[in-house]
Amino acid sequence: MKLRPEWNGALVALERPHALVSVNRAWARRLGVKDSPRWRGDDPGHLSAPTEVHLVVSKRCSAGCTSCYVDATPNGPALEARAARQAIDRLAALGVFHVALGGGEAMDLDYLFELAHYARSKGLVPNLTTAGLGLTVEQARACAVFGQINVSVDGVGEAYRRARGFDGYAHAVKALRALRASCKRVGINFVVSRSSFDELPRVVALARSLKLDEVELLRFKPAGRGTATFAQEDLTDEQARALFPLVRRLTFRHRVRLKLDCSFAPMVFWHRPSVALARFFGVVGCQGGNVLASVMPDGSLTGCSFGGPTEASIFDAAGVDRAVESGFQAFRGYAARAPDPCRSCEYLSLCNGGCRVVAAAKGDWWQPDPGCPRVVAFRPASRSVGAASP
Amino acid sequence: MIDPEDPRPRILGVRFGVNPNSSSLGIDVTFLLFGGAAAVFSALVASVLLRGRTPVVLHGEDQEKP
Repeated sequence: MKLRPEWNGALVALERPHALVSVNRAWARRLGVKDSPRWRGDDPGHLSAPTEVHLVVSKRCSAGCTSCYVDATPNGPALEARAARQAIDRLAALGVFHVALGGGEAMDLDYLFELAHYARSKGLVPNLTTAGLGLTVEQARACAVFGQINVSVDGVGEAYRRARGFDGYAHAVKALRALRASCKRVGINFVVSRSSFDELPRVVALARSLKLDEVELLRFKPAGRGTATFAQEDLTDEQARALFPLVRRLTFRHRVRLKLDCSFAPMVFWHRPSVALARFFGVVGCQGGNVLASVMPDGSLTGCSFGGPTEASIFDAAGVDRAVESGFQAFRGYAARAPDPCRSCEYLSLCNGGCRVVAAAKGDWWQPDPGCPRVVAFRPASRSVGAASP
Repeated sequence: MIDPEDPRPRILGVRFGVNPNSSSLGIDVTFLLFGGAAAVFSALVASVLLRGRTPVVLHGEDQEKP
């Protein structure tokens, strides 16, 4: 169990079960923290460091998925093993709790498991996403080092091929079975796009039949090779509004945990859940540069894997410290300058305006997420009064 | 608003699980579906899990950032 003081009190990371618990200062004192420099002064409005960092260990992959968000290729760049360990050292020094390894196909790197054990030795919980192509039983057993491992499955059978551009469904299911036999927590990553939306019930049913722990739903992003097809694959307004009710139905029907990526927060808040409840359970939107950050294969530290400026090199300790202290303004600064309808939205402090990368792809980083149902509903009125621009 | 100096020990939030996704933050809406009772239950569970345990403190009172 690890504890990191924060302005409110502290964050406590548990391993059994995996949980991050936010406690106030009185609870932190009960856990042995008499005082902390972080308890002085005004609320900085952000955490002292991310709780999780996405380490994009490579942009190397031979699968050739048609919408790969990092534009991975068979000869793409990758962090060298020594540099990857240095990155882990820096993240451990910051007090980061979890590191999600990905790419590219991280499983293709010969040092992946050594790196995962190294992260464990530094007190970080390593997690992994893989396509599962060609995963051997030995590799599946070695994956027990990960806190959780998810396999990308963007459809069942032929739908997988349509979504990813190659026929890897059988490989993915074989990998899931092997991982289920060896690892404690296994799940599916499913990219929800306009064309794959109707596949969701079949994928959740697959997860149930394989006795998996969760399905994580990822929004199709305008990044990497996905940029070219984003206009065709972005959810329709009807799909965006229907997503959360569908998730609710599938959760109860299949009793499988469904998680949504942070860019889907506007689609959840459209259905007006309790603000207090959402805050308590960490149901939040864009947390780039606050709860999460990313390290790219060249060592650049960014607020999000999909976009945003480079804040520092992960190998520059002083630069990283400056970034977590006062950087990431492209993400942290949105709420203060949010235009309507975000400005008047009761969920702004949670949602943070939806996905900045989607907003940028539609024209302006600082505009509200154009896929948000509230933004869509606001548009006709705003056009008539000319009030949509900041 | 949270009063940081509230003398009563309080659980402010709980996120169960880890996020294996290497591109974005996974938000777990499962508990949202069960309403306020889920928050009360989760806070109780978290309290039990924390009680009587001694954590490793990261960047605590006497530590400087590296």
